[in-house]
Amino acid sequence: MKTRSKITMMSAGLLLFTLMSCNSGTEQSNSTDSNATVNTETPAPKADATQAPALTDPQIASVAVTANQIDVNYGKIAMNKSSNADIKKFAETMIKDHNDIIKQAVDLATKLNVTPESNSTTQSLLDGEKSMTDTLNSKSGAAFDKAYAENEAAYHDAVVNAVKTVLIPNTKNAELKNLLESVVPLLDHHLEMAKELAAKFQ
Amino acid sequence: MKHLMRLYGIWMGCIILLLSCNSGAGPANQAITAPQKDTIIIKMMAFQPADITVNAGDTIVWINEDIVAHDVSHWPDKSWHSDTLQPHDSFVKIIEDSSTYFCSIHPTMKAQFSVKE
Repeated sequence: MKTRSKITMMSAGLLLFTLMSCNSGTEQSNSTDSNATVNTETPAPKADATQAPALTDPQIASVAVTANQIDVNYGKIAMNKSSNADIKKFAETMIKDHNDIIKQAVDLATKLNVTPESNSTTQSLLDGEKSMTDTLNSKSGAAFDKAYAENEAAYHDAVVNAVKTVLIPNTKNAELKNLLESVVPLLDHHLEMAKELAAKFQ
Repeated sequence: MKHLMRLYGIWMGCIILLLSCNSGAGPANQAITAPQKDTIIIKMMAFQPADITVNAGDTIVWINEDIVAHDVSHWPDKSWHSDTLQPHDSFVKIIEDSSTYFCSIHPTMKAQFSVKE
């Protein structure tokens, strides 16, 4: 397997692994990492929540917004670096769609008076973004287009799995759960579009 | 008496006229089908229904009830298309020919309408 494909798969794997780890209820690791990353103005996870799911609704809101924002950022890189019409059209759609989702998530959080709460999963997502951004920025031309398309396929694959198997099952608020469920068909289509795009650069 | 006869004649004339109108117009009305309006909802990244049959001259209204913007475009060449439909926007088209269409923003979304022969 080529190096860039390895990087893509590793990044996607990291995202899924991180989210799955949170789902397994490792309260200790969450609490430890949260101490380092959580905004001090937001309440820390309840100390007596040993049997609660690893992610609370405010944390899930944070993960959802961050995951969408990361793909917006990848799209902006593609708009700046690529001259391929297919890549630009796809990137434009990703920026538009994921910004729409972010707006709805923020609107819902505002309505519910919920402050998205940064957590270890959010931080892992951001770490993964930094790594992938470095990778994408190190490439140009056809190599960049291929790396971007492959990452989009892998990233959406991981996000779809995470939303279906981790975020939705752990969400308590019905409206937040409904929003996440309504996003799944969109992410499924993004995944199919990304796979078709990546196939053009094989 | 003459006045009454005249009134009677007018009444009978009206009745005959009404009966003849009714009997004459009936078959013609039945032969012409008024154009219908059908609605297709865009929701959960799908056109619902994805396959619809209409009469030539009918109108189809597409309503975007999804969480993101879509469009309605002839597949594959976009020879006819809507503007970008933001959530809650709609697009109206009078149908003359069968067609396959798609969302050019999300090309994996496809559907079709057929015109009865």
